[in-house]
Amino acid sequence: MKIEGQNCVNAPKQVVWESLNDPEILRKALPGCEELRQIAPDAFEAKVRAKIGPVSARFTGSVQLCDIDPPHGYVIVGEGKGGAAGFAKGSARVALTVQDGQSPQTIVSYQVDVQIGGKLAQIGARLIEGAAKSIADEFFRGLTAAIEADRPETSKAEAPSESAAPESDVVQKAAALMPPWLFGIAACGTVALLLWLAV
Amino acid sequence: MGKQAKGYIGRSVLRREDDYLLRGKGQFVDDLPVLSGQIFLGFVMSPYAHANILGIDTSAALALPGVVAVLTGEDFASLSAPMLTEIGFDGYKSNSRPVIARQKVRFVGEHVAVILAESEYIARDAIELIEVDYEALPAAAKLETAFADDAPLVHDHIENNVMFRAAFSTEKFDEAFASGDLVIKERFRTGRVAGTPIEPRGCVAVPDHVGDSITLYTSSQIPHIVRTGIAKHIGCPESRIRVVIPEVGGGFGTKAQFYPEEIIVAALAMKYRRPVKWIQDRREEIITNIHARDHIYDLEASVTSDGIIKALRLNLLTNAGAYSSYPFGCTLEPTGGARMLVGPYKIKHYTYEARAIATHTCPSGAYRGVAQPSCFMAIEGMMDRIGRKLGIDPAEVRLRNIIPTKELPWVNAVGVRYDTGSYEECLRLAMERIGYSEFRQQPRGIGPDGKYRGIGICCFTEISGTGAPGWRARGLIRVPGFDSALLRVEPTGKLTIHISHANSGQGHLTTFAQILADQMGTDVENITVIEGDTGATPYGTNTFASRSAVTGGGAVIRASEKVAGKMRRIAAHMLECGEMDIELRESKAFVTGADRSVTFEEIAQTAYSMNSFTLPEGEEYGLESTNYYDPPLATMANAVHIAQVAVDPKLGSVAIEKYAVVHDCGRVINPMIVDGQIQGGIAQGIGEVLMEEIVYDDEGQILNANFLEYQLPTALDIPNCSIDHIESPTIDAVGGFKGVGEGGVIGAVPSVTNAVADALSILNVNVNSIPLRPAYVATAIRTAASGAN
Repeated sequence: MKIEGQNCVNAPKQVVWESLNDPEILRKALPGCEELRQIAPDAFEAKVRAKIGPVSARFTGSVQLCDIDPPHGYVIVGEGKGGAAGFAKGSARVALTVQDGQSPQTIVSYQVDVQIGGKLAQIGARLIEGAAKSIADEFFRGLTAAIEADRPETSKAEAPSESAAPESDVVQKAAALMPPWLFGIAACGTVALLLWLAV
Repeated sequence: MGKQAKGYIGRSVLRREDDYLLRGKGQFVDDLPVLSGQIFLGFVMSPYAHANILGIDTSAALALPGVVAVLTGEDFASLSAPMLTEIGFDGYKSNSRPVIARQKVRFVGEHVAVILAESEYIARDAIELIEVDYEALPAAAKLETAFADDAPLVHDHIENNVMFRAAFSTEKFDEAFASGDLVIKERFRTGRVAGTPIEPRGCVAVPDHVGDSITLYTSSQIPHIVRTGIAKHIGCPESRIRVVIPEVGGGFGTKAQFYPEEIIVAALAMKYRRPVKWIQDRREEIITNIHARDHIYDLEASVTSDGIIKALRLNLLTNAGAYSSYPFGCTLEPTGGARMLVGPYKIKHYTYEARAIATHTCPSGAYRGVAQPSCFMAIEGMMDRIGRKLGIDPAEVRLRNIIPTKELPWVNAVGVRYDTGSYEECLRLAMERIGYSEFRQQPRGIGPDGKYRGIGICCFTEISGTGAPGWRARGLIRVPGFDSALLRVEPTGKLTIHISHANSGQGHLTTFAQILADQMGTDVENITVIEGDTGATPYGTNTFASRSAVTGGGAVIRASEKVAGKMRRIAAHMLECGEMDIELRESKAFVTGADRSVTFEEIAQTAYSMNSFTLPEGEEYGLESTNYYDPPLATMANAVHIAQVAVDPKLGSVAIEKYAVVHDCGRVINPMIVDGQIQGGIAQGIGEVLMEEIVYDDEGQILNANFLEYQLPTALDIPNCSIDHIESPTIDAVGGFKGVGEGGVIGAVPSVTNAVADALSILNVNVNSIPLRPAYVATAIRTAASGAN
């Protein structure tokens, strides 16, 4: 299944990149995100809880990063397991581009190519895509709000300087950029649980 | 009430079941009262189509308050033998299914662990807490590729995943095939569907107070086969197991299988000595109940220039799924499709190769019609292609090949005898009903409303009432063939008939009472029909494959003859006349030609030693008989369905505008019930052609295990059907009845498919696969248009 989308964040590209690298901001922005943990230099785990009514499920995602190109984007390859809810595996290509305009804006676009299994698959791609997008929207709204709260003076953002960060730091920060991937997992779980309740 | 003068058989007696069912008083398995100490089950199901189970962590689930136990496949291995379907064919590769998976899972939904909990909610919560460590393996999910040399194996010992292979040829086939003027080839592909009864499955097992027996309530069509199956698997004598079938909310063959959950529920009730309950939800229903009709027919017809089929060659592939289901195995569909394909036609030279291919998908089984909707889609699609190729009207092609009534009885190419039938009569009447020649006189092509119209025919035979020789011919050992009836005249003179069948909506309580009332000369009101309880009925093969009227009807007739004979002897003794002078009618025994009689009650009182009469010398007390009836190899019903459709080329949608059925199921017991069977079958067939499709991806994931995306027809999709009956009673089976349970779907699938093919033939769209969902139809039209450009 392929899921594509893009969202606009009202901040310069470098600020968005850095914000996306701040685990605390991400945790706040991503609904249900409980944990982001580095398990190897380029491998990470996250836990996201999706809850609807009395039913909840925790999705554990482990990801590997590649093609890291700060602050322009990277590819995430990974797998998310939701226990009885099923699993998802695949890749997400995330790209940051600048939107020309009066105020600085950054477009974060994502292309997810995911194979889902178990209950997630049985729910149907059509619904999951919609749910994933709405969760992505919610995330980026949260991200914008978090940036504004955390960095009121967005103008202090400097020009992009990829070489500034040491390699390990880049990897670590990029790891925090899992969310687009996790949106899929969380969305899948959310929809799965909804339908599970309906049947 | 004057009924007896004409008899009950042949009359639309209102269904006795409807009074309580329509009032919502039916007691289904989930309606059974909650028993004290009842445990509920929840199943952990595999999310992978093919994976090794590396470990199962049950600790979090066990720590949840209210969880009684968690059992894995390893734990369960000591409680039940694996399920092994024995098939008496050389070409069959035996394979066994652990009741709960051990080490490996082979399809999405396969049980990995079972949770026992104090409530169904706790069981659900506990499912979420089981952590299974899987090592995913590549899957063979598609029929087309699963038998390739490099395909992953479903069972290590089954080479190329060919679980079953059968081949057959009539003598001098090649010679006959060479004698035609041309050869027409086509591949026909049918989609994967399932019965999806409105009530999913479920079971409750209740241990007795003594401590060694259980009663299993299960939503099933096959109580006796389930009981024997449980006994065999858990190593407990049948005498300690009683299987009771409550009301069943639709079976359609989905519930004519013996499933692992039935063993699990029974075994756990035995082990824990507590009532155990399990109710399936819709998702489980779609992913674990048997699937059907993922078939490919490669058909070649050698034809003369005037449209006569000289010889026919079939290569059939069916998707067996991951395991051979119980009791029908993976052989039912390939043997069915290959053996039924010649239908009502004079095809004397026939050869086939049929294979069932194992895949990492849900096991396939006996869904209504089995392979007949698909095999008639193939042969009837071929008839149309012969017509199009040679410029002969498709109805005319059929008339040229059909077996004329005067040539009956007929033994077909595979050796099945058609004793009576009305193939040509049904076709001619159905053509009249649909307005066939008027339709053909209209100009072809796009109509003023922007739609293309077509008409599709299906002439078919329907195998029914299969007896022991028929099941043995298909290699099935666990399907006996006979059915039985125990008739008892009670001391009040009322009748109770205990029949080996199990009602799942067919109206047995009505139709068997009709037969018995006529046989005994009494009113249906005096008859109680009891079914679906192994503790109350003699052994039998049970209810599937359009068999109840033939096998149960025969058994009822046999039992009634026995009891009526004894009643005559007792009455003759009481009335001091000859036995031959006694006539049973109006619930009395009359002396023929004299105004003397005794009532059934008086006869029964004598039989039970409750009055001053003695029994005739040598006669035993009681008034009952148990009789078994094993019908012939097959009893062949026949019918013709014709559908007229309008196809919207922009939307790809198909609307059925007219539909006509002429059906011959021999002696009709209750026309209203026969009509209902046909209408219900047509609805399922329309769903199969236009809507229903279980979608597996290449990895073996089901992508639509919900009713939002597995689309079923509603009343809005089903046309009014004109239904006529022609009655050609069978002479080979007792009673003259032929089956009717599957005919509706068998006729609908090919007729609707052919109608769409007819509508789109002018656009050079080759309609040879179903389902014809709007997206597929629209794509096919666009592809054909771009090909033409």
